[in-house]
Amino acid sequence: MADTSSHGSPPPPLKDELDIVIPTIRNLDFLEMWRPFFQPYHLIIVQDGDPTKTIKVPPGFDYDLYNRNDINKLLGPRASCISFKDSACRCFGYMVSKKKYIYTIDDDCFVANDPSGLPINALEQHIKNLLCPSTPYFFNTLYDPFREGADYVRGYPFSLREGVPTAVSHGLWLNIPDYDAPTQLVKPLERNTRYVDAVLTIPKGTLFPMCGMNLAFDRDLIGPAMYFGLMGEGQPIGRYDDMWAGWCCKVITDHLGLGIKTGLPYIYHSKASNPFVNLRKEYKGIFWQEDIIPFFQNVVLPKECTTVQKCYIELSKQVKEKLSKVDPYFDKLADAMVTWIEAWDELNPSGASKGKA
Amino acid sequence: MSGSAFTPILKDEVDIVIPTIRNLDFLEMWRPFFEGYHLIIVQDGDPSKAIKVPQGFDYELYNRNDINRILGPRAHCISFKDSACRCFGFLLSKKKYIFTIDDDCFVAKDPSGKEIDALEQHLKNLLTPSTPFFFNTLYDPYREGTDFVRGYPFSLREGVPTVVSHGLWLNVPDYDAPTQLVKPLERNNRYVDAVMTIPKGTLFPMCGMNLAFNRELIGPAMYFGLMGDGQPVGRYDDMWAGWCMKVISDHLGLGVKTGLPYIWHSKASNPFVNLKKEYKGIYWQEELIPFFQSVSLPKECTTTQKCYIELSKLVKAKLGQVDDYFNKLADAMVTWIEAWDELHPSSGAKSEALPNDLEVFLRCPREESAPRNGIHHVAFNWIRFSSWCLLSVAPLTIFFLHIHLDRDWLPLIVSM
Repeated sequence: MADTSSHGSPPPPLKDELDIVIPTIRNLDFLEMWRPFFQPYHLIIVQDGDPTKTIKVPPGFDYDLYNRNDINKLLGPRASCISFKDSACRCFGYMVSKKKYIYTIDDDCFVANDPSGLPINALEQHIKNLLCPSTPYFFNTLYDPFREGADYVRGYPFSLREGVPTAVSHGLWLNIPDYDAPTQLVKPLERNTRYVDAVLTIPKGTLFPMCGMNLAFDRDLIGPAMYFGLMGEGQPIGRYDDMWAGWCCKVITDHLGLGIKTGLPYIYHSKASNPFVNLRKEYKGIFWQEDIIPFFQNVVLPKECTTVQKCYIELSKQVKEKLSKVDPYFDKLADAMVTWIEAWDELNPSGASKGKA
Repeated sequence: MSGSAFTPILKDEVDIVIPTIRNLDFLEMWRPFFEGYHLIIVQDGDPSKAIKVPQGFDYELYNRNDINRILGPRAHCISFKDSACRCFGFLLSKKKYIFTIDDDCFVAKDPSGKEIDALEQHLKNLLTPSTPFFFNTLYDPYREGTDFVRGYPFSLREGVPTVVSHGLWLNVPDYDAPTQLVKPLERNNRYVDAVMTIPKGTLFPMCGMNLAFNRELIGPAMYFGLMGDGQPVGRYDDMWAGWCMKVISDHLGLGVKTGLPYIWHSKASNPFVNLKKEYKGIYWQEELIPFFQSVSLPKECTTTQKCYIELSKLVKAKLGQVDDYFNKLADAMVTWIEAWDELHPSSGAKSEALPNDLEVFLRCPREESAPRNGIHHVAFNWIRFSSWCLLSVAPLTIFFLHIHLDRDWLPLIVSM
């Protein structure tokens, strides 16, 4: 889409329907690079860490900023479900948003260039991904058939060509890839320089690692499932917030007949986090993951779960029932999942997300 | 490419199977990549016609008379007047790997302008594991410059053997007749630099134009059905094989990759002719897909042949009512396996693709740098595992030393 500063160009897509949620602890200098793409949109900044610190927002952006005091004030006793000293706190931004779409991005993610050298408007690509259907029931070998210049291939059943509504658009990262701590320790120099010009639907029944660095979703369709769990201070684990949300989302979208896309757009990820710190955070997760994945792979949600909230509450029961034995953390997490839904419903009383675009 | 040093990799382990009815002029363009490999040419159509093979290729050519002679009464399972006859080449081959390509598929160029060695890429795909149980968002983690991402369970990082490598096509895409009629000018110009595993439980439309597979592991499932002369449907041969193959691979814990390499597909087939061929398939597909999606193979089916025979029974039981064609097809599936077992009496045991072939491949790279995959990747995984063991055990050890030796090690180590 054209830069909004050009005379006579179309308005930024979904300008009044989309919030950009950014967790931060430092500053928001990175927004300068994003200005041509983000300025028309409303930002929700979730300040993590010390609430007395002032976060400088570059001038000219329309934003709301929430720190820990605001979270406590708005949620009261339910604030316990929002992580502290972890970027998982971003999900507070999803909860307070009133928009249909959310785009969330980390403050060390910059504008990438495509192979021709053009800066990539990540937000625009996410919107395209969300606004056209997904195809989770059958793999299209030319990837997203709704992209310009592509289509369904021979052998793709015609009855499946309408697709399903897209709930999540999962973008990728050039430069520093999203590796776990062991991989970072073993391959500290590896950079992702491969631009894969594809968007594709993650098939039904298949889980994936959802990274929160460059992510967009339809809040109306899937918002209540985007809880980023209990991480950070006082918690035994970190760097599994987005993973947890992604696995919950995937089983729920599969159940409700919604789709998740991955691939474009790319952003440029500039900071490699400290692998030793990461290992400490991820340590338990490395082991727990081995139980969590079979759990999610075997989750069956009953037919009566027709809304995201119902699915999520049901999921929380199954987490409590099946994962508590792994560690009491999952007991607390299951409770926090319920608290999250209570808080969501209180802040968003107009109705349950029924999974309809 | 002519005149440059060329080392055919796994020369004695690969057959290139090409169905043709016209001529094989396209081989001239492939010469730098195919010379040195053995070709199995399956001549479809009129057997009295002579097919000209460019000089310098090592090949065998089979026409309908040969098929009848070699298979006798079982020959009816091989399609006539349809490129589905290519599977006769799979049947005859004694090699471990097959690459099959259509005679209107040429060498494509990558975005840098370099010619793509499709066969080499297929072999890379086949020689490195697949990851069907969990989707890796950076696609094939065994490719150079990439890996598994955060959140990918470690116990799944060994992957499973890859049995099929499904390549794609630039220029004329593989569209069905309705799409060709509606969009006759659309060309595929998008080079997607990815290889990925098609997840377990997910079907896909397998195109036979640019396809490679491990014949030892999955060959018996690569039957291309009854098409062409005397049959009510065409252009569903590779589709049928792909759906059968996928449910069997899923059952046996094997993997299927799609993506690179690209070839350049030059000919757009006639959409009106295609519609006639596909017509019934368009409707039947709607039954076939739910059938394959709900196929469940019993635990006792531990080999590809057993799976395939079981599948043929299910086809007869559940699809026979869609059309009598499926009864004939189910019988032909059995005939195919009988023919397969007769020509390959020692097969039926699962064999591993790694590591010997991979070692050979890595020793004779065609590119400057050898791909960092397979064995090297296993080594990386061990280093990775050992590192985090060390890093996790070290603090504990230090703590114990602190307690038991009554010395202040802790501040010293932490300060490091």
